[in-house]
Amino acid sequence: MSEKMELVNREEQSPVAGSKAPTVVPSVDIYENDDEILLYADMPGVTKEAIAINLENGRLTINGHRKVCGSGTAQLEEFGEVEYERAFSVPQGIDINKVKANMTNGVLSLHLPKSDAVKPRQIEVQAG
Amino acid sequence: MNPRWNDLNQMFGAMDLLRNRMNRINRLFTDYDRAWGGNEGWPMANNWPRTNLYDDNDHLQLVAAVPGLAKEDINIKLQGNYLEISGTRKVTVPDGYTAHRLERGGETSFSRSFTLPVDIDIDKVEATLKDGILTLQLPKAEVAKPKKITIN
Repeated sequence: MSEKMELVNREEQSPVAGSKAPTVVPSVDIYENDDEILLYADMPGVTKEAIAINLENGRLTINGHRKVCGSGTAQLEEFGEVEYERAFSVPQGIDINKVKANMTNGVLSLHLPKSDAVKPRQIEVQAG
Repeated sequence: MNPRWNDLNQMFGAMDLLRNRMNRINRLFTDYDRAWGGNEGWPMANNWPRTNLYDDNDHLQLVAAVPGLAKEDINIKLQGNYLEISGTRKVTVPDGYTAHRLERGGETSFSRSFTLPVDIDIDKVEATLKDGILTLQLPKAEVAKPKKITIN
Protein backbone atom coordinates (compact mmCIF):
# COMPACT_ATOMS: atom_id res chain seq x y z
CA MET A 1 0.00 0.00 0.00
CA SER A 2 1.17 3.51 -0.69
CA GLU A 3 1.99 5.92 2.07
CA LYS A 4 -0.95 8.05 1.09
CA MET A 5 -3.42 5.29 1.79
CA GLU A 6 -2.03 4.67 5.21
CA LEU A 7 -2.55 8.27 6.09
CA VAL A 8 -6.12 8.03 4.96
CA ASN A 9 -6.73 4.94 7.04
CA ARG A 10 -5.28 6.51 10.09
CA GLU A 11 -7.63 9.41 9.91
CA GLU A 12 -10.62 7.16 9.53
CA GLN A 13 -9.75 5.45 12.78
CA SER A 14 -9.47 8.71 14.68
CA PRO A 15 -12.45 9.51 16.91
CA VAL A 16 -15.22 11.47 15.28
CA ALA A 17 -15.06 15.16 16.09
CA GLY A 18 -18.72 15.31 17.10
CA SER A 19 -18.52 12.74 19.89
CA LYS A 20 -18.19 15.29 22.69
CA ALA A 21 -20.77 17.90 23.59
CA PRO A 22 -20.93 20.63 20.96
CA THR A 23 -19.50 24.01 21.87
CA VAL A 24 -21.91 26.90 21.77
CA VAL A 25 -21.15 30.60 21.95
CA PRO A 26 -23.58 32.16 24.42
CA SER A 27 -25.36 35.36 23.40
CA VAL A 28 -24.24 38.31 25.47
CA ASP A 29 -25.25 41.87 26.20
CA ILE A 30 -22.49 44.19 27.38
CA TYR A 31 -23.20 47.49 29.12
CA GLU A 32 -21.02 50.13 30.65
CA ASN A 33 -21.40 53.04 33.00
CA ASP A 34 -18.92 55.19 34.87
CA ASP A 35 -18.36 52.57 37.56
CA GLU A 36 -18.36 49.23 35.82
CA ILE A 37 -18.76 47.04 32.79
CA LEU A 38 -21.74 44.75 33.03
CA LEU A 39 -22.08 41.56 31.02
CA TYR A 40 -25.09 39.30 30.65
CA ALA A 41 -24.82 35.89 29.02
CA ASP A 42 -27.67 33.51 28.24
CA MET A 43 -26.77 30.04 29.44
CA PRO A 44 -30.01 28.17 30.10
CA GLY A 45 -29.63 24.95 32.07
CA VAL A 46 -26.19 25.77 33.44
CA THR A 47 -26.07 25.60 37.23
CA LYS A 48 -23.75 27.87 39.14
CA GLU A 49 -21.55 24.90 39.99
CA ALA A 50 -21.05 24.08 36.32
CA ILE A 51 -19.66 27.46 35.39
CA ALA A 52 -16.07 28.64 35.35
CA ILE A 53 -15.01 32.23 34.87
CA ASN A 54 -11.37 33.07 34.42
CA LEU A 55 -9.67 36.41 34.20
CA GLU A 56 -6.06 36.23 33.22
CA ASN A 57 -3.74 38.56 31.33
CA GLY A 58 -6.59 40.78 30.31
CA ARG A 59 -8.53 37.84 28.91
CA LEU A 60 -11.88 36.87 30.32
CA THR A 61 -13.11 33.38 29.57
CA ILE A 62 -16.50 31.99 30.43
CA ASN A 63 -17.15 28.26 30.40
CA GLY A 64 -20.39 26.55 31.30
CA HIS A 65 -21.62 23.02 30.95
CA ARG A 66 -25.23 22.02 30.47
CA LYS A 67 -26.29 18.43 30.94
CA VAL A 68 -29.15 16.84 29.09
CA CYS A 69 -32.43 17.97 30.62
CA GLY A 70 -35.29 15.50 30.65
CA SER A 71 -35.68 11.76 30.52
CA GLY A 72 -37.53 9.24 28.41
CA THR A 73 -37.72 8.69 24.68
CA ALA A 74 -37.15 11.91 22.81
CA GLN A 75 -40.02 12.88 20.52
CA LEU A 76 -38.61 16.29 19.78
CA GLU A 77 -35.14 17.48 20.68
CA GLU A 78 -34.01 20.99 19.87
CA PHE A 79 -31.33 21.42 22.50
CA GLY A 80 -29.14 19.13 24.53
CA GLU A 81 -25.84 18.82 26.27
CA VAL A 82 -23.57 21.71 25.39
CA GLU A 83 -20.36 23.34 26.39
CA TYR A 84 -20.81 27.12 26.48
CA GLU A 85 -17.60 28.91 25.76
CA ARG A 86 -16.68 32.49 25.10
CA ALA A 87 -13.67 34.72 25.59
CA PHE A 88 -13.32 38.49 25.74
CA SER A 89 -10.46 40.93 26.01
CA VAL A 90 -10.93 43.05 29.06
CA PRO A 91 -9.75 46.67 28.88
CA GLN A 92 -7.15 47.81 31.36
CA GLY A 93 -8.32 49.42 34.55
CA ILE A 94 -10.68 46.70 35.75
CA ASP A 95 -10.38 45.96 39.43
CA ILE A 96 -9.95 42.20 39.21
CA ASN A 97 -10.46 41.63 42.93
CA LYS A 98 -13.92 43.13 42.88
CA VAL A 99 -15.36 41.23 39.92
CA LYS A 100 -18.69 39.70 40.87
CA ALA A 101 -20.70 37.04 39.09
CA ASN A 102 -24.26 35.95 39.53
CA MET A 103 -26.41 33.28 37.95
CA THR A 104 -30.15 33.91 37.78
CA ASN A 105 -32.68 32.02 35.67
CA GLY A 106 -29.99 30.71 33.36
CA VAL A 107 -28.47 34.14 32.78
CA LEU A 108 -24.98 34.92 33.95
CA SER A 109 -24.41 38.49 35.07
CA LEU A 110 -20.87 39.64 35.50
CA HIS A 111 -19.95 42.92 37.12
CA LEU A 112 -16.50 44.20 36.23
CA PRO A 113 -15.86 47.30 38.36
CA LYS A 114 -13.45 49.91 37.07
CA SER A 115 -10.54 50.77 39.29
CA ASP A 116 -10.55 54.26 40.72
CA ALA A 117 -7.70 55.35 38.45
CA VAL A 118 -9.81 55.11 35.30
CA LYS A 119 -13.10 56.41 36.66
CA PRO A 120 -14.05 59.82 35.32
CA ARG A 121 -13.44 62.51 37.88
CA GLN A 122 -14.63 66.01 38.22
CA ILE A 123 -11.73 68.35 38.97
CA GLU A 124 -12.64 71.18 41.15
CA VAL A 125 -11.01 74.49 40.31
CA GLN A 126 -9.55 76.06 43.35
CA ALA A 127 -9.71 79.74 43.84
CA GLY A 128 -6.20 81.10 44.04
CA MET B 1 5.23 -3.49 -9.99
CA ASN B 2 3.10 -3.60 -13.08
CA PRO B 3 2.49 -0.01 -14.24
CA ARG B 4 -1.21 -0.72 -14.82
CA TRP B 5 -1.57 -1.94 -11.28
CA ASN B 6 0.11 1.20 -10.05
CA ASP B 7 -2.40 3.36 -11.93
CA LEU B 8 -5.25 1.43 -10.42
CA ASN B 9 -3.82 1.79 -6.96
CA GLN B 10 -3.41 5.49 -7.44
CA MET B 11 -7.00 5.80 -8.57
CA PHE B 12 -8.25 4.00 -5.50
CA GLY B 13 -6.07 6.23 -3.39
CA ALA B 14 -7.68 9.28 -4.95
CA MET B 15 -11.15 7.83 -4.40
CA ASP B 16 -10.38 7.17 -0.77
CA LEU B 17 -9.22 10.72 -0.31
CA LEU B 18 -12.38 11.99 -1.96
CA ARG B 19 -14.58 9.78 0.21
CA ASN B 20 -12.77 11.05 3.24
CA ARG B 21 -13.31 14.63 2.18
CA MET B 22 -16.99 13.92 1.66
CA ASN B 23 -17.27 12.37 5.09
CA ARG B 24 -15.74 15.42 6.60
CA ILE B 25 -18.13 17.70 4.71
CA ASN B 26 -21.08 15.56 5.79
CA ARG B 27 -19.94 15.74 9.37
CA LEU B 28 -19.79 19.50 9.06
CA PHE B 29 -23.36 19.55 7.82
CA THR B 30 -24.78 17.34 10.53
CA ASP B 31 -23.17 19.62 13.07
CA TYR B 32 -24.57 22.58 11.24
CA ASP B 33 -28.05 21.11 11.15
CA ARG B 34 -27.98 20.16 14.77
CA ALA B 35 -30.43 22.38 16.51
CA TRP B 36 -28.26 23.12 19.51
CA GLY B 37 -25.04 23.70 17.62
CA GLY B 38 -23.88 27.20 16.85
CA ASN B 39 -26.38 29.84 17.86
CA GLU B 40 -29.02 29.12 20.47
CA GLY B 41 -31.68 31.13 18.69
CA TRP B 42 -33.33 34.45 19.28
CA PRO B 43 -36.63 35.14 20.95
CA MET B 44 -37.96 36.69 17.75
CA ALA B 45 -37.55 33.44 15.87
CA ASN B 46 -40.75 31.42 15.79
CA ASN B 47 -39.04 28.36 17.19
CA TRP B 48 -38.22 30.07 20.46
CA PRO B 49 -38.04 28.76 23.12
CA ARG B 50 -36.01 25.72 22.10
CA THR B 51 -38.01 22.75 23.28
CA ASN B 52 -37.56 19.04 23.90
CA LEU B 53 -40.35 16.55 24.34
CA TYR B 54 -39.85 13.19 26.03
CA ASP B 55 -42.13 10.21 26.54
CA ASP B 56 -41.64 7.76 29.42
CA ASN B 57 -44.84 5.71 28.91
CA ASP B 58 -46.86 7.32 31.72
CA HIS B 59 -45.79 10.91 31.22
CA LEU B 60 -44.84 13.34 28.57
CA GLN B 61 -42.13 15.72 29.65
CA LEU B 62 -41.70 19.02 27.89
CA VAL B 63 -38.48 20.91 28.51
CA ALA B 64 -37.93 24.43 27.19
CA ALA B 65 -34.87 26.67 27.41
CA VAL B 66 -36.11 30.06 28.62
CA PRO B 67 -33.07 32.01 29.88
CA GLY B 68 -33.86 35.20 31.74
CA LEU B 69 -37.53 34.47 32.27
CA ALA B 70 -39.08 34.55 35.72
CA LYS B 71 -42.13 32.44 36.38
CA GLU B 72 -44.34 35.53 36.20
CA ASP B 73 -43.20 36.07 32.62
CA ILE B 74 -44.51 32.75 31.33
CA ASN B 75 -48.04 31.73 30.46
CA ILE B 76 -48.86 28.09 29.92
CA LYS B 77 -52.19 27.10 28.41
CA LEU B 78 -53.32 23.54 27.98
CA GLN B 79 -56.49 22.36 26.34
CA GLY B 80 -56.87 18.67 25.56
CA ASN B 81 -53.65 17.97 23.74
CA TYR B 82 -53.04 21.54 22.64
CA LEU B 83 -50.32 23.28 24.60
CA GLU B 84 -49.31 26.91 24.28
CA ILE B 85 -46.36 28.60 25.95
CA SER B 86 -46.19 32.37 25.66
CA GLY B 87 -44.79 35.35 27.47
CA THR B 88 -42.52 38.34 27.35
CA ARG B 89 -38.83 38.41 27.88
CA LYS B 90 -37.79 41.63 29.55
CA VAL B 91 -34.28 42.42 28.45
CA THR B 92 -33.84 46.15 28.87
CA VAL B 93 -30.79 48.34 29.13
CA PRO B 94 -30.23 48.99 32.83
CA ASP B 95 -30.60 52.60 33.95
CA GLY B 96 -27.60 54.80 33.37
CA TYR B 97 -25.70 52.25 31.28
CA THR B 98 -24.74 52.49 27.65
CA ALA B 99 -24.92 49.36 25.56
CA HIS B 100 -21.82 48.05 23.82
CA ARG B 101 -23.13 44.80 22.51
CA LEU B 102 -26.68 43.52 22.26
CA GLU B 103 -27.07 39.95 21.13
CA ARG B 104 -29.78 38.72 23.42
CA GLY B 105 -32.62 40.13 21.37
CA GLY B 106 -33.95 42.93 23.57
CA GLU B 107 -37.49 42.83 24.92
CA THR B 108 -39.59 40.42 22.94
CA SER B 109 -42.75 38.48 23.33
CA PHE B 110 -42.95 34.89 22.21
CA SER B 111 -45.55 32.26 21.71
CA ARG B 112 -45.16 28.67 20.77
CA SER B 113 -47.79 25.99 20.52
CA PHE B 114 -47.61 22.22 20.35
CA THR B 115 -50.07 19.51 19.53
CA LEU B 116 -49.15 16.76 21.96
CA PRO B 117 -49.28 13.21 20.64
CA VAL B 118 -51.70 12.07 23.40
CA ASP B 119 -54.34 13.52 25.72
CA ILE B 120 -53.14 14.78 29.07
CA ASP B 121 -54.56 14.54 32.57
CA ILE B 122 -54.75 18.31 32.93
CA ASP B 123 -55.32 18.39 36.70
CA LYS B 124 -52.05 16.63 37.42
CA VAL B 125 -49.75 18.75 35.27
CA GLU B 126 -46.76 20.19 37.08
CA ALA B 127 -44.56 23.02 35.88
CA THR B 128 -41.18 23.98 37.31
CA LEU B 129 -38.64 26.62 36.38
CA LYS B 130 -35.00 26.19 37.30
CA ASP B 131 -31.81 27.68 35.88
CA GLY B 132 -33.66 29.01 32.88
CA ILE B 133 -35.18 25.65 32.04
CA LEU B 134 -38.94 25.22 32.10
CA THR B 135 -40.07 21.66 32.71
CA LEU B 136 -43.63 20.45 32.31
CA GLN B 137 -44.60 17.06 33.66
CA LEU B 138 -47.62 16.01 31.66
CA PRO B 139 -49.24 12.80 32.92
CA LYS B 140 -51.03 10.99 30.15
CA ALA B 141 -54.78 10.59 30.39
CA GLU B 142 -55.77 7.12 31.58
CA VAL B 143 -56.96 6.09 28.12
CA ALA B 144 -53.68 7.14 26.53
CA LYS B 145 -51.46 5.10 28.83
CA PRO B 146 -50.01 1.90 27.43
CA LYS B 147 -51.75 -1.20 28.77
CA LYS B 148 -50.42 -4.66 29.01
CA ILE B 149 -52.77 -7.21 27.55
CA THR B 150 -52.70 -10.71 28.93
CA ILE B 151 -53.50 -13.55 26.57
CA ASN B 152 -56.25 -15.88 27.73
